[in-house]
Amino acid sequence: MMKALGPLSRRRFLTAGASLGIGTIAAPYVARADDPTLRITGWGGKWGEIMKAEIGPAFESEFKCKLQIDSAFPYLPKLQASSRSAPIYDVMHTNSNEQWAAAEMGLVEPKIDPKQVPNLADVYPYAVSDKIVGVSIFTSAIGLGMRTDKGYGSVNSWKELWDAKYNGVRGGYVIPVNSLGQAFLMMCGTLFGKGQTDLDAAYAALEKLKPIKIVDFTGAMEKMLLSGEVGLCVIHDSGIYRYDGQNQPTDFVSPSEGVLSLEQVLTITPGSKMKELANAYVNYMLRPEVQKRLAETVWYSPANKKVKLDAKYDAKLLTTPEKVSKLIQVDWKWYNERKDEIDQRVNRIFRA
Amino acid sequence: MQTAASNSASLPVAQQAASVRTPGPIRHYGRYLYLAINIAILVFLLAPIAIVVVFALNPTPFIQFPPVGVSLRWFEKFFASRDFMHALGFSLEVAVLTTLSATLLGASAALALARGNLPGTRLIVATMLSPLMLPAILTGLALFQTYVLLDVGRPTWGLVAGHTLVTLPYVVRTTLAVLHNFDMRLEEAAQNLGASPVRTFFEVTLPLIKPGVLAGAIFAFIVSFDQFPVSLFLVSPGNETLPVTLFNYLKFDLDGTIGAASVVSIVLAFVVVIGLDRTVGLRSYVKL
Amino acid sequence: MSASIEIAGVSKVYDGGVRAVDAVAMDIRQGEFFSLLGPSGCGKTTTLRMIAGFETPSSGAIRVDGADITHVPAHKRDMGMVFQNYALFPHRTVAENVAFGLRMRGLDKATITAKVKAALAMVELSGLEDRRPAQLSGGQQQRVALARAIVIAPRVLLCDEPLGALDKKLRQQMQFELKQLQKKLGLTLVFVTHDQEEALAMSDRIAVMNGGRVEQVGTPTEIYNQPTTRFVADFIGDTNIFRGERTTTSTVASALDVGKGLILALPPTEGQGTGVLSVALRPEKIRLITRTDAATAAGSSAHGIVENTNFLGGAVLYRVTLESAHRVLVQQPNAGTSRLFVPGDGVTLEWTPADLVVLKD
Ligand SMILES: Nc1ncnc2c1ncn2[C@@H]1O[C@H](COP(=O)(O)OP(=O)(O)O)[C@@H](O)[C@H]1O
Ligand SMILES: [Mg+2]
Repeated sequence: MMKALGPLSRRRFLTAGASLGIGTIAAPYVARADDPTLRITGWGGKWGEIMKAEIGPAFESEFKCKLQIDSAFPYLPKLQASSRSAPIYDVMHTNSNEQWAAAEMGLVEPKIDPKQVPNLADVYPYAVSDKIVGVSIFTSAIGLGMRTDKGYGSVNSWKELWDAKYNGVRGGYVIPVNSLGQAFLMMCGTLFGKGQTDLDAAYAALEKLKPIKIVDFTGAMEKMLLSGEVGLCVIHDSGIYRYDGQNQPTDFVSPSEGVLSLEQVLTITPGSKMKELANAYVNYMLRPEVQKRLAETVWYSPANKKVKLDAKYDAKLLTTPEKVSKLIQVDWKWYNERKDEIDQRVNRIFRA
Repeated sequence: MQTAASNSASLPVAQQAASVRTPGPIRHYGRYLYLAINIAILVFLLAPIAIVVVFALNPTPFIQFPPVGVSLRWFEKFFASRDFMHALGFSLEVAVLTTLSATLLGASAALALARGNLPGTRLIVATMLSPLMLPAILTGLALFQTYVLLDVGRPTWGLVAGHTLVTLPYVVRTTLAVLHNFDMRLEEAAQNLGASPVRTFFEVTLPLIKPGVLAGAIFAFIVSFDQFPVSLFLVSPGNETLPVTLFNYLKFDLDGTIGAASVVSIVLAFVVVIGLDRTVGLRSYVKL
Repeated sequence: MSASIEIAGVSKVYDGGVRAVDAVAMDIRQGEFFSLLGPSGCGKTTTLRMIAGFETPSSGAIRVDGADITHVPAHKRDMGMVFQNYALFPHRTVAENVAFGLRMRGLDKATITAKVKAALAMVELSGLEDRRPAQLSGGQQQRVALARAIVIAPRVLLCDEPLGALDKKLRQQMQFELKQLQKKLGLTLVFVTHDQEEALAMSDRIAVMNGGRVEQVGTPTEIYNQPTTRFVADFIGDTNIFRGERTTTSTVASALDVGKGLILALPPTEGQGTGVLSVALRPEKIRLITRTDAATAAGSSAHGIVENTNFLGGAVLYRVTLESAHRVLVQQPNAGTSRLFVPGDGVTLEWTPADLVVLKD
């Protein structure tokens, strides 16, 4: 199995060497041609920067391997297109809904083995609950983002969003393509009906949300809130907190009904030839010091109970059992099974 | 009697009206209308570029109207970013390689199609142009799966091959267009004067089809440099093209850097077109 | 330098099955101005292109100075060619166009410059060296094409309707100059034209082609005065053609009965015989006089009425309807002294039997 991967990693090494001239980051650990390669996915942005600069190289030197991080979307179709016995990723990092889709197709293993990943013993229950495939290493809280300079008064319920005073400055998502939008739809069922799965109540509630500005990228919502184009919107806490220190007139509201969780989930592919290294990577990502570094970089709440964040972060992120208990997890398996039908329906609601 | 009278009375009026409308003013209105339509088209074409430029120069991380000032911070951020610089360099590398291969293959194919008495020429032309009909994302996905099956990974040549596939039709089309108007007797004249077929090609054929080949090459460069759907599946970790990098950046940081990158891309495309024009010459000797 | 060409039973069948050239055989002598003349589509260009090497004969052989060149590629044939549309290289200047063949022959720069200069002087284009073809008039382009072809001192010069695109005045001037040049350089020149006047004026010999075949090869006078086939007689100049049964009358031993009572005496060289025959009589070989009822020579005269007149300047062309209802063209020189006939005039036509040309069908 090492033989099979030999040429691949050598090629990687050579292309990396060749492209140094153009300006790749000179990793402190110089990978050797016959080092094993662990192929993973990972976010871009700040997350990607810190992974490339610190966390990745540290992993490489500790485990004497090469980490090949694909941060170009879309991960799932690429994994789907590759062969199951030789998948292009060993570890997939993506949001929970996509992980569920992957698990349904048998592209990722549904659970992580606690014997191979000792740090699993230290995570909050939500991180390995029955709503999660693999393990959630971080989560964001989806709640409301608001402008603090418009005199809206204090907001503490999701239902505020339906108040007529936000007509024209209300923000939401294109539900078929955005996880926050999908999670919010489930929340509507809980708020106005019998629960998450009460789609009819959710549709009725969405109908009443109009007029609403909808965007596909979460980043676009952040900008609209910053520019004041939107006054109250559905958003994740990290999308507000990341501007901490810039004196922006925006704040995150954690509604009394609870916040939705937007999990960062790791899974291992069944066909991976690097199982041992893959488990080591998952374990590594759950290490308190790695968790702390990443959490404080991107404002994600760490899944490991033992992580002690600096006060500033500790105050805002979900770092205690009480705070974590406010998290509402979405049943993505249920949702994915009905996605087409839901997409059609919400498209009709927002097209009209 | 009465009908006759009313006829003779109404006829001159109608004629008058017609003569007033047709020759003078209509032509005038037509001119203004023509001008207005042209301006509208121009605005329609240039407005997105203007918005991008405003976005790139706007100091705030979101578009604001009216803009609150002019700043180069997004350009600084763009040029300071190793990721973006690497992506820019890689995109240029891929675009240059693609242009070379698409031009070489496309021009040769067009020559063979126009000259050789190949059977099924129409079918071959249709096949060569077909990547234009197929959604590029499918082309990318299909190639990705092929590479996975062949176990070659996602090498740069694989990406270049993908780009070549979708840029080839442009070169074939533009070259076929000049060849269509090409006077074969010019080649005969050269041979008659003692030029071997190879010399004939370089002395006569190539210089004369050059405008078409070059136009195709420019298309190939720009299409490759801006290519997103085909690249999406074919880029490998650490070697992402600029459009892919921009797309991924967009998901996490939607700020003016995107605008700055777009402006740089536009300027680069311009520089390439003008550079090619100046060095190789776009001026056409053949009437198209 | 100049060479002779032998075309031996050459045929060309194109892909679609068109037999463009059919068993053509002719010898073109060294230093000769030889024309291929015939209507459009008769295979002239195809023949010329086979000589140049742009087409390969389907059968037969082409020899230059006795050497078989049927399969020698065009660029090794050492022949100059002037194309119908000139085929000047649009991306090169006049001087570069003319220098092209010299460059291909690997001559040194100084020689090329000198030869180009001389060639351009010969065609009177000195001073236009740096122009591009698009900046020249049709006549000038024609001269550049000519200079480009002759500067390489070709063994044979091939011209495909080189003057066809020029207006009449210029064409005549160029005809004269081309002929002069050919004489001066002693060139073997194969000249394709569909214009019989041009061919008659310029050629040493002419091959008249029709439907891919050669009808007759001969000097202009032979072709004009002694056409051997009905096609040649008809194609070259105006002529009157009669067809009839051979007969003998009391006064004429060898005659042709062309019907409606018209009997033509055949030339004395023609013996007695039977069968069907065609004869040609040129309009200018007929004398036209005011109708006279005096005895006229049997078999070499006829009466008729002028139907219309066509004043040509130096001559007048009359269309006369004979009593036998035959319509005949008669051309009379316009000496400027006598009165011209007008439509309706009764006239008598007279000719010499020896001027009748017996034709093959
Ligand atoms: N490349 C060709 N393919 C098929 N037929 C041709 C081709 N070139 C000429 N012909 C046919 O051959 C015949 C002779 O053509 P050409 O030699 O050009 O005649 P000319 O020069 O006397 O007008 C014509 O019937 C013409 O249509
Ligand atoms: Mg012709």
